[in-house]
Amino acid sequence: MAHVSVPMYWRTIPQRYKMVGQKCKKCGAVNFPPKGVCKHCNASSDFEELQLSGNGKVHTFVLIGAGGAPPEFAEQMKAGGSYPVAIVELAEGPKVIGQMTDVNPKDVKFGMSVKAELKKIYTEEGVIRYGFKFAPDAEGK
Amino acid sequence: MMSVGISGYSAYVPRLRIKKEDYAKAWGSFQAAGVAEKSVMGFDEDVLTAAAKVSRKALESVPLPPGNVTRFAFASTTAPYLEKLLSGTVLVNVGMPNGAFASDHTTSTRAGTEAFISAFEHVKATQGGVAVVAAADAPRASMWDPLEHPMGAGAAGFVLSSDNLIAEVEGYSSYVMEHFGERFRPTGGDLLQDLSVKKFFATAFMTCTTKACGALVKKLGAKPEEYAHVVIQQPDAKTPGSVAGKMLFNDAQMASGLVSTNLGDLGAASTPVGLAAALDSAKVGDRIMVVSYGSGAGSDAISLKVVSDRKPVPGFKEQLEKKEYIDYIQYVKLKGALK
Amino acid sequence: MKRVAIVGAGQSKYGEFPEKGIKELFFDAYKDMSSSVDKNFDPRQIESAYVGNLGSGGFQLGNMSALVAEFVGLPYIHTVRVENACASGGYALVAAVMDVLSGAHKMVLAGGVEKMTDVSGMKQKYWLGVSGDTEYERLAGTTFAGLYALIAHRHMHEFGTKREHLSSVAVKNHKNGAQNPKAQFQREITLEQAMKAPVVAYPLNLFDCCSTTDGASSLLVCDAEVAKEYTDTPVYVSGFGTSSDYLAIHDRLNTVTLEGTKRASQSAYKMAGLTAKDIQLAEVHDCFTIAELLAYEDLGFCEKGKAGQFIEEGHTKIDGDKPVNVSGGLKSKGHPIGSTGTGQAYEMFNQLRGTAQKPTRQVKGVERGLVHNVGGSGGTVSVSILVR
Repeated sequence: MAHVSVPMYWRTIPQRYKMVGQKCKKCGAVNFPPKGVCKHCNASSDFEELQLSGNGKVHTFVLIGAGGAPPEFAEQMKAGGSYPVAIVELAEGPKVIGQMTDVNPKDVKFGMSVKAELKKIYTEEGVIRYGFKFAPDAEGK
Repeated sequence: MMSVGISGYSAYVPRLRIKKEDYAKAWGSFQAAGVAEKSVMGFDEDVLTAAAKVSRKALESVPLPPGNVTRFAFASTTAPYLEKLLSGTVLVNVGMPNGAFASDHTTSTRAGTEAFISAFEHVKATQGGVAVVAAADAPRASMWDPLEHPMGAGAAGFVLSSDNLIAEVEGYSSYVMEHFGERFRPTGGDLLQDLSVKKFFATAFMTCTTKACGALVKKLGAKPEEYAHVVIQQPDAKTPGSVAGKMLFNDAQMASGLVSTNLGDLGAASTPVGLAAALDSAKVGDRIMVVSYGSGAGSDAISLKVVSDRKPVPGFKEQLEKKEYIDYIQYVKLKGALK
Repeated sequence: MKRVAIVGAGQSKYGEFPEKGIKELFFDAYKDMSSSVDKNFDPRQIESAYVGNLGSGGFQLGNMSALVAEFVGLPYIHTVRVENACASGGYALVAAVMDVLSGAHKMVLAGGVEKMTDVSGMKQKYWLGVSGDTEYERLAGTTFAGLYALIAHRHMHEFGTKREHLSSVAVKNHKNGAQNPKAQFQREITLEQAMKAPVVAYPLNLFDCCSTTDGASSLLVCDAEVAKEYTDTPVYVSGFGTSSDYLAIHDRLNTVTLEGTKRASQSAYKMAGLTAKDIQLAEVHDCFTIAELLAYEDLGFCEKGKAGQFIEEGHTKIDGDKPVNVSGGLKSKGHPIGSTGTGQAYEMFNQLRGTAQKPTRQVKGVERGLVHNVGGSGGTVSVSILVR
């Protein structure tokens, strides 16, 4: 039983693999993930593609414990234990949710600098779904 | 003639490690000669995510925009799919052009140098060509098989071009023969097998490495003692030493690139990671000899000459020190050995 | 506005009922509603039915409103399944009110039903994790507990809200639910139990989360002009409001505010000519303890950031000046998704009429109550104000 179908996942590859956002040509604000109409001015659907840096800061975070993971992530929970999920405020403005990676959960802090990296998100229907997760960024300011 | 070589590079060592003592506790002994501890990929990592990381970092170290890449070569023995293009995942993530020629090298631990040489040939033949080579591996075998004990995880990426060189490729030689029974995965099998006919296999390792290296030294008119750094395939930390003498290399020459002591067998990434470690400690004018080996069997020897002191950040040593130990149970779970 | 009335309200018992499906559960609520109408009830007068339902495990995704209607003897009427995740019931009530206001129908049923315990735990999670932003939030590895935990943690970080504040919501609601014969969990818990429960999504633990529940509820909504034909004590819907919000929390203006709650309640207050201060009793959406704290703030019961203090001071206890969730709330009464909104109105109907099942749980002299129903993590919100 698949939740997000393979084609549905594939359509978001520019966001998941590369963090391609939208810059509104009317108000200049950045949308990520993309919208039909700019969520800042609600007045324009005229965008240019913007490659985001993947840098950001932890706005809020949680630690998903046993029983708190969706079925797609149950195996990860069993193999690797609790995992942190954060909403990250990206350098270009938008906030986005993502798992934290390459970090001891107890080291996650509000405001810490992170950087997006390609990781395995989950596997369903035999297909590995890759996408961004956020790793601590020692060099980040 | 135009010089072609390494313009940027990066190594990646996963954060998680397991010590030999934990193996000994679980199995009574640890059968990986000279290996003190080894690296382990996290649950959300695989050879493609590691390859993506080193490709990106290698390009940043030049620095060179990914849009300039004309060739991408990926190497690993631990492909997440037996059939499906692998290099595309990395190419798209890094932002290399869809029109770059991409290839997957996956059938032996020689794959790393195989990818390197094919990328080198491309740059030599292409005006303004830029190649990225990413070798990433995390070999797997049955937990019941001592063959599994040395298996670690790591990756290295290189940017090859004719500009802004750190090290020039002086030349390469290969030696390929027919050999079997050692480190193979038959059709339909997920795990590595090895018939464990030790002397028979040692002979193949010896033959391929010495023949490839010997041919190259002869071709270049070089002397073994002229090499400040020698990186030989490291299925464990002792095997390279067992053939080095035959090539007239000593332990001191192998010190900078002997990464298996702390990381274990990196498979197709063994000599690439060793090369990255050697480059980190090399000085301008140093020569580096790289000799890979893949069962089946074959070796590539590559000779490089360092022409710049530029080093990537973070370096290999820094990554070695950033680690978190796991126990054997966690290791077995992360390796996906509990089905 | 006193143009729409509720003249009957029923609810099945909430809990786990292996012997009952959506049809049987809905029938329980319908029978209970029918018998609550004081006089002249005639099913043939019901012209339309709005049934809140999320999906009942996916087995009757199509035409379920017609199915449950004909099962209880209401074929050939206008039926609509209303789906706005956990706010489906609240929106079913609003749809019924709008139907009556439009003049299209005079006698309308608003109800909801959910059967959640028929499927395996894994399948349940498949079904429950579909009302946030599936593509991003779920695929970041969160269920709703995780999403509300993101809000809770930020609330704690920004305002100094404490773990104890979260747990005191659970303790209060279990104390109330212990008195409710129709609640799923009729037992009290201690603060220590609530604090020490296993972590689901830190900072939220098991006792911060509502359970999965089977249940149904049903309301009889009619034109106020004819209400007195059925009862001497109708309850009026004097205001209602709804608002959607960005589905994903990361897209919202403010992580610690449910903008939908703010906007829906402001519309409802305006329509009713009331303010938050005038509300004497509220049933709010406490799917997670943090959700009740957010409701205090976003409904205007207290200032933003002060919900921790508000519960600490006891205002929302059953004997406080603004009791909240005297039914036990979603936490203790239960949360059968599609039924929750109309179930809240069922409780308010009885509180306003003085017909709560036990004297111990009847709040005295209530004239103005508010029901607040949230879909997902705030993607949809409905608020209705019920008055005597």
